[in-house]
Amino acid sequence: MMRQPSARPFNCFTERYVLRSLTPADLSDRWGGWSADPEIVKPLNIAERRMSKDDLRRYLSRFDNVSKFLIGIFAKPMSLHIGFYAIDTSSVHATANFNIVVGDKSYWGKGVVNETRSALLDELFEHRGIEKAYGMPLARNHPAVFNYKAQGWKLEGILLGQCKSVTDGGRLDQYQFGMLRSEWRARKGRKS
Amino acid sequence: MSANTNARKLLADALSMPEQDLPADIRIGSIDQWDSLAHARILLALEETIGKPLDAAEAATIESVTDIAASLSRHAKTN
Repeated sequence: MMRQPSARPFNCFTERYVLRSLTPADLSDRWGGWSADPEIVKPLNIAERRMSKDDLRRYLSRFDNVSKFLIGIFAKPMSLHIGFYAIDTSSVHATANFNIVVGDKSYWGKGVVNETRSALLDELFEHRGIEKAYGMPLARNHPAVFNYKAQGWKLEGILLGQCKSVTDGGRLDQYQFGMLRSEWRARKGRKS
Repeated sequence: MSANTNARKLLADALSMPEQDLPADIRIGSIDQWDSLAHARILLALEETIGKPLDAAEAATIESVTDIAASLSRHAKTN
């Protein structure tokens, strides 16, 4: 009989943040409120709707900590939950697809994404067998695009009209940014 | 005014910095003030100046004062 891969929740940290797989104990009205804020969800092309704890529980249940990870971003020193990563990995292709939400707007523009994503790239590339990471922000999500560029990801393609807008039904363009493990190691080598 | 002068003015406004404090070769990631939110302000200011949204291919090229100046020149010619 084939052995099922076992769950490996994330648990790592940076200078200012803790990153760990979310659990039912993390469900909160605060988290549920992020999806009702147009400033947060519009750049992600998600319809505004407050998520109840039951909604969040159902969402959380999609992540198995085997190939799909929902990782909370917690600000030190009070462990304030300020956002999360949804990461889908493929063991066949050794890839990881990144999606990020910083829900606490008081942390916008403070370098949260690249500080935390750096730790996750280290973990994925060095300890979890991932060879390529990629992210697909909407072209109009300028802060996300900035973060990918500032962190040295390569713009691999522009997908014209890839998504249908949840607000007006128009077509939205999307970028694909990629980072190979070799590129990440070379970048870290240059910086150290 | 030249496109480069206009680009520096646009950047100074978007970054809330005196124009004379902008490095000559300012680009994404080169100074703390050019952060993720400032990047959004820069692109929106550029679109406001040229009077139309940038297409995804052109928006992707905006990484420096030179790129902004080039975009301003390009759209000045087509307007």
